[in-house]
Amino acid sequence: MSDQTYATPVPQSSPPQRDYSAFDADLTGQAFNFQLFARLLRWLRPYRLTVAFSLLFILLAAGLAVMLPVVTGLVVIDNILRPESVSGEEPDFGMTELTYLISDVSGYTPLIAACILYLAMVTAQAGIMYLHRITLASSVLKALRDLRVDLFSTLEDKPSSFYDRVAVGRVMTRVTNDIESLNELLTGFGMLVGEFVPFFVALFLMGAISPSLTLIVLFAIPIAAVATYFFRMAMRDIFRLIRNSVSALNQYLQENLIGIQVVQLSGREGMNEEHYGRLNHDNRRFEFQAINYETLYHSFNESLASIAIGAIIWFGGGQVVQDEITLGAMILFIQLITMMIMPIVGLGEQFNVLYRAMASGERIFQAIDWDERLKEPEHPVELPPRLRGEIELRNVHFGYNKGEPVLKDVSFNIRPGEKLAIVGPTGSGKSTIIRLLARFYDFDDDMIFLDGIDLNQIRSRDLRRRIGVVLQDFHIFSGTVRDNIMLNNPDISPQQAEQAARTVNADGFIRQLADGYDTHLAERGQNLSQGQRQLLAFARVLAADPEILVLDEATASIDTATELVIQDALHKLTEGRSSIIIAHRLQTIQECDRILVLHHGVVREFGTHEELIKKQGIYYTLHELQFQDGAIAAELAGADTEEADSPVEQQADDDDDGTPPSMREPDSF
Amino acid sequence: MPNGAHRQAQSAQYAGTAPRGKQGSFRDLGHLRRLFPYIRHYRGPLVITIIGFFLIRFFDGTVPLFIKSAVDSITEGEPSLMLPALGIFAVVTCRYLLFVFSRRLMRRISIALSYDLRKRLYRHVQKQGPSFFNKYSTGDIMSRSINDINLVRRLVAFAWVTIMTFVFSVSIALIFMYSLSPSLTLFVIPPLPVVALVAFKMSRTLFPYVREQQIAMGQVTSYVQENLNGIRTIQAMSQEEVEIQRFSTVSTEYADLVFRATRFRAMMNVVMPLMTTALPVIIIGYGGSLVISGEISVGTFTAFFSYLLMLTGPVRMIGMTLSNLTTGAAGTARLFEVLDYEPEIRDQPKANVPASIEGHLQIKGLSYSYPGANRSALENISIDIEAGETIAFLGRVGCGKSTILKSLVRLIDTPEGTVLLDGHDIRDYPLGRLRQDVTLILQDPFLFSDTLRLNVTYDDPSRMDEPIWTATDAASLSASIREFPMQLATIVGERGITLSGGQKQRATLARGLIRKAAVLAMDDCFSSVDTETEEEILAGLKRLRKGKTTLLISHRVSTARHADRIFIIDGGRIVESGSHAELLRKGGYYADLEAIQSNQDQDRQRKAKLLHDLVE
Ligand SMILES: Nc1ncnc2c1ncn2[C@@H]1O[C@H](COP(=O)(O)OP(=O)(O)OP(=O)(O)O)[C@@H](O)[C@H]1O
Ligand SMILES: Nc1ncnc2c1ncn2[C@@H]1O[C@H](COP(=O)(O)OP(=O)(O)OP(=O)(O)O)[C@@H](O)[C@H]1O
Ligand SMILES: [Mg+2]
Ligand SMILES: [Mg+2]
Repeated sequence: MSDQTYATPVPQSSPPQRDYSAFDADLTGQAFNFQLFARLLRWLRPYRLTVAFSLLFILLAAGLAVMLPVVTGLVVIDNILRPESVSGEEPDFGMTELTYLISDVSGYTPLIAACILYLAMVTAQAGIMYLHRITLASSVLKALRDLRVDLFSTLEDKPSSFYDRVAVGRVMTRVTNDIESLNELLTGFGMLVGEFVPFFVALFLMGAISPSLTLIVLFAIPIAAVATYFFRMAMRDIFRLIRNSVSALNQYLQENLIGIQVVQLSGREGMNEEHYGRLNHDNRRFEFQAINYETLYHSFNESLASIAIGAIIWFGGGQVVQDEITLGAMILFIQLITMMIMPIVGLGEQFNVLYRAMASGERIFQAIDWDERLKEPEHPVELPPRLRGEIELRNVHFGYNKGEPVLKDVSFNIRPGEKLAIVGPTGSGKSTIIRLLARFYDFDDDMIFLDGIDLNQIRSRDLRRRIGVVLQDFHIFSGTVRDNIMLNNPDISPQQAEQAARTVNADGFIRQLADGYDTHLAERGQNLSQGQRQLLAFARVLAADPEILVLDEATASIDTATELVIQDALHKLTEGRSSIIIAHRLQTIQECDRILVLHHGVVREFGTHEELIKKQGIYYTLHELQFQDGAIAAELAGADTEEADSPVEQQADDDDDGTPPSMREPDSF
Repeated sequence: MPNGAHRQAQSAQYAGTAPRGKQGSFRDLGHLRRLFPYIRHYRGPLVITIIGFFLIRFFDGTVPLFIKSAVDSITEGEPSLMLPALGIFAVVTCRYLLFVFSRRLMRRISIALSYDLRKRLYRHVQKQGPSFFNKYSTGDIMSRSINDINLVRRLVAFAWVTIMTFVFSVSIALIFMYSLSPSLTLFVIPPLPVVALVAFKMSRTLFPYVREQQIAMGQVTSYVQENLNGIRTIQAMSQEEVEIQRFSTVSTEYADLVFRATRFRAMMNVVMPLMTTALPVIIIGYGGSLVISGEISVGTFTAFFSYLLMLTGPVRMIGMTLSNLTTGAAGTARLFEVLDYEPEIRDQPKANVPASIEGHLQIKGLSYSYPGANRSALENISIDIEAGETIAFLGRVGCGKSTILKSLVRLIDTPEGTVLLDGHDIRDYPLGRLRQDVTLILQDPFLFSDTLRLNVTYDDPSRMDEPIWTATDAASLSASIREFPMQLATIVGERGITLSGGQKQRATLARGLIRKAAVLAMDDCFSSVDTETEEEILAGLKRLRKGKTTLLISHRVSTARHADRIFIIDGGRIVESGSHAELLRKGGYYADLEAIQSNQDQDRQRKAKLLHDLVE
């Protein structure tokens, strides 16, 4: 993790302290980042053929779309309705000949032939548009599916140090909402292409008919560009603010849903509603600000078309009168104007999407690029098919944060097949040892060894397959009971799962559930009791049949009777397997060969039960506290203050606090 | 980790509220009715926008008239171009101002509406009990509050406006067209209702597609949410590959559903323009012949083409509009599915409850079974707890201990008259006050990703330092906090992830103790705490809780021993009760437990016998 500084200088090779704030607040959301777009194309590449077809289709459809006003303007009005005015110079892309050809072949009048041509082109255009839409959707959806899965897999690989700092809600929106806005972007982009093609075709056509009139139309473009520029300036911050507020809303909601019972029991509903209301209000405020600019800008662009029409009538009309262009050409101009302005309006429309998508892309790639990984060995050592189960910790120093050592010079070893107990006050670093052993965090080389191999030389996944850890803060997933034990691991058969459940004495209660092993558990196993959940988490590890078993308070919420049954079953099961058992209840560790007492990250005592009892140290105190009656315990605790940081001596004084004797039998509050 | 079966169950559950299958029905769009009460709130601005959009369309309708007069003046050989051009400029300016005004207003309404809905959803969800949260996962609710509300918003901002403008455009265009050439107009009208009907039918068919797509989105959200919350478990079990595989399936499924919906939309977008093609063809064919026969001018012919845009523009859009409408309807349906869920716990306080609480608790014949469970969690529990008494519950895993404590604070819905506080049914107390006077510390320690200070004083953040330190002292947490560089300002990570198990548990303990409630219920609050610290806490509690009712659950005899009376629960019933000494004398379950827990060095045989006794 971070640079650790200890009293005794220890060689450290840790990565620098990271700045996670990027995950909390949003990125600055710089303007268009084309690099981002180029990266996105990487995911489209496998589907490039479909994309190419889709673009081809849109080009075709767009070409046809421009031909429609050509038919009405140049063919119908100029040639058929006002044949006297034909100059024969307008580029009509052969539409006139085509019309007369149809008329000749079919024998209908040119007017009807024009209708037939028009109809045919509309039909073709619609059909091609359909093909364009589905090819585009298919490739974009597949590409984004791939991106989503890729993003998800990088998240699966992020180490614990990452999730210690970054809230799930924040990362989650990247996999869900942000990908969705990329979808909007890519689909919208296809549409934009579809609008810009007619723009250029129309521009060419207009230029050929009347360059001067075309210039007037083109005048709209810088105006639109200036408007767009101002809009962008105005919106720059607002978009970021909006997305920040949405993100905050989501994060707040998610956490409140998970902790809903605490919220309700603390009577915080009102206050939280107010807080959520404030976040919601901020969101509304920014949205309101955004639409102020948005409507001004958008409506302006829409009006451009009509203004251009006015200009065409003014100037174009004059040209018609002077016979510079035909009436049909002027009308063609009027009809094409809409097509010219459309992409500009469309750009404005797409602008929101584009902007949002750029920022989303940034967030997605930020998560993908976040290179926080566990150190994996370059030349991993393959573990032998059968482990001896010898574990050694040599002068382990570790801290989660710079300057806050948690483990200080911890050394001990576990012999093959040995059962080691770790005891110690809360926060002394017991779970931390386990987290290192399972390689949840990075640590220096040559500190921990498994069968004589440096742990850092083993791939973390290989290691975790061999070491089964019942975590102190386990997680139950929604799904069936069986799924929770098997965790969808194809190597575990349902029989093995049930066998594991029997080992931890969970079979009984599971069978009594509504659907037995197929009973659906709600999120986090809410419809089970805490002890039942813990049993499942325990069974899950046993089902994977690990060679080394690590139990971190695995029976803390389990009653003594059940625990005895488990101990009995485990006894047979772990014969010859090394195991580590962490427990506060000494009851739990009775079967262990040796006991390690950890205190403030330092190994204070290490030996067999008899040795430690003889030593009369911390373990002895704990033992007396638990196994003898309270009076002796209190006495012992009082006498033992220099060993334990948290003295219990006031208990002795409390005995004469004036409680009526009836309330004190045997030792009431 | 929603699996296949779960997903099916989920889909089936939505199926309850609306017909499924490819054939939609008119009722689907009827979901939109549910929005009326919310929209009604803004009826003033709505009426204004309607007028605004009407005027806009009217202005739009005049533009072709200007074009016509210009064209006609040219064909007649006496061009007057200035007037039409200026006319267009004037109209455009007015239209622009109106448009900005109306559109802004409309979108403000949509934003305000989504604000209202989101607020309502939040408030509603906060009131829910266990059966609701068993049914709707966090990811699911979040998906509704984000995606579905956005759909509704888009519906109000765009779909609704487009429909209004559709009606105005079509009617205004037809009126102007009629004034120019009645006969040509009559030819144009017949295709219109056909187009509208087809559009409507198609959008109905779209509904199930959209709905499926929404459900799939909810699944993607839930999947990611749950997976990331359980990431440590997955990594510890080395199941990342499997999870990625499964996520890939879920995502593919979602992509497929979106594709199906898109394909259908694309089809609508083909059919709609095709159907409107009849109109320009009629104008070219019939209109053209009218021009040739001299019945209408070229200007009129041109104007008709411009009006055609007013007619077909919205008709072309109608596919998209109606699909927005349908999507909005699907979103509305999903929102109201949640909003219609009645909270199981109702806050209906009565006036006659005492102002201050003594702490006398009575449970009378309480039986309870969780919704959806096939066995009852509690059966005929009767306990009378005097004010100031200390009570302990012991029992096997899943025997119902936590359920008893939950019943005291109405986290579960108990029948009337079964739980009494100071002689009054707990249902008669205002819920907030009940939970204030009876403080339950939950078994599952949950902390918010905030500072320790705000976590400890969660119920009332305005507290000063002193009561906070008093509470952390009582929970034996102060020493640990002083070791943190940031002290009380330490941020604990999501769900307290950066604290040790015991630190987390003691933080939740402090959060409960700070309330100094008349009744304190601690659900196995020392399971992750070492014995020494526990003894220290218990000793402190003994002082703090003197004369106040205290209930606790524990698996350790050494903890239970401190209570005045101890109840042994098994299978939801009370099987033994009495003081520590009484129960020891009785020689039952408790005595066995005590024997096992207090004597480590017993011989194996005796343990085996005890074990046998305990397990039956
Ligand atoms: N992810 C983390 N980031 C920062 N600090 C941590 C993190 N996890 C634990 N700590 C700190 O490290 C210390 C040791 O924690 P650890 O979880 O190892 O204790 P423990 O011995 O298992 O205690 P318990 O018996 O309460 O579970 C504690 O002070 C804790 O606050
Ligand atoms: N929300 C729920 N929905 C359905 N069944 C539930 C729910 N919560 C608990 N149960 C069931 O009710 C029974 C009693 O649960 P409870 O939580 O009261 O047990 P407990 O005595 O507290 O057990 P533990 O010692 O494990 O905490 C258990 O069998 C459990 O499976
Ligand atoms: Mg721990
Ligand atoms: Mg419980």
